Amino acid sequence: MSEYYASAPIEIRDDLAAAHARAWGRIGRSGTWWDGAQRVAIAAETRHAVSCALCRRRKEALSPAAINGTHDSLGALPEVVVEVVHRVRTDPGRLSERWFRGVIAAGLSEEQYVETISIVAHLVAIDTMAGGLGCDLPLLPQPEAGRPSQYRPPGVKPGGAWVSWLEPADLGESEVGLYPVDRPAANIMKAMSLVPEEVRSFFDVVSHQYLPPLAMRDFSREYRAISHAQIELLAARVSALNQCLY
Amino acid sequence: MPYNKAYDLKVVTGAVRDDGGVPHGRLLIAFAGAVLGEGEPALAAVRASLHGAIGLAGLTDAAGVVGLFNAIDRVADATGISLETEKAKASADFRAALGVDQFDVGARVCR
Repeated sequence: MSEYYASAPIEIRDDLAAAHARAWGRIGRSGTWWDGAQRVAIAAETRHAVSCALCRRRKEALSPAAINGTHDSLGALPEVVVEVVHRVRTDPGRLSERWFRGVIAAGLSEEQYVETISIVAHLVAIDTMAGGLGCDLPLLPQPEAGRPSQYRPPGVKPGGAWVSWLEPADLGESEVGLYPVDRPAANIMKAMSLVPEEVRSFFDVVSHQYLPPLAMRDFSREYRAISHAQIELLAARVSALNQCLY
Repeated sequence: MPYNKAYDLKVVTGAVRDDGGVPHGRLLIAFAGAVLGEGEPALAAVRASLHGAIGLAGLTDAAGVVGLFNAIDRVADATGISLETEKAKASADFRAALGVDQFDVGARVCR
């Protein structure tokens, strides 16, 4: 992936290109609940979702639940995973807890769900940026052999999300450093903590594609080629367009 | 980012079509919209204008922020998280003024 940015007609900060390369490497490797081939298949399905006819009809409908049908998929993943990937990619502003409970009842574990969401989020972050710059999308990584670790943090419990999460007080030895220690952990960090490796991976991208934690509210200087005010304006506009209150 | 500077947050929802007090704010708003939905011909024009206004490094960082928040919104929506209590209290007045409370994931009970 670094080679991709080296030849692209754009200027990408070295630290950001390196963060994307790390993310790409992680997508290709075995994760916590999906192996490398499954993770790359989820990434490929994320890209494929934008051309799905069912998703397009649902997006145009008053309620997505009113439209039945089968997703146009690449055929490498179970139907319930395809449903999650496509809905999160194409119509996230109308997801509901009822829909979430439905996909869990259909056989997806909460842990698999969280890891799937994380992979979709990595793809959306990197691909949307590429699209914004008018670049070709980077080739997906080659899957690597390996078995998922199936590590479930012992301290997870129901909290302020549909999925179980880790409160800072419940972090075990394996989760040291997962959350900042100088301020409360934001819910967006706790949201994927059922699979700690995905928190680490996604927030590695966040730190370089947005801002590192300590820079977010350090208004004494600017850290990017655009100002804090410009960054937050963009962030708020994107969330308004996505109808996301968070 | 100067402290105690006034910004018109209505630019975020499109209710006001100016810079909102942010340098090149109108172009940045247009860029975010074009990246998320208007297709390459429209996006190319906005991209060129923004490039001219803030330079290539600025354009790259702007595209990065748009991409990152397009992803963060999905994590938030797919996991059903709400605003933290402190943030909810601090933002109650301008959320109401902007009319964005309708986007609260907790209100989505029947879809």
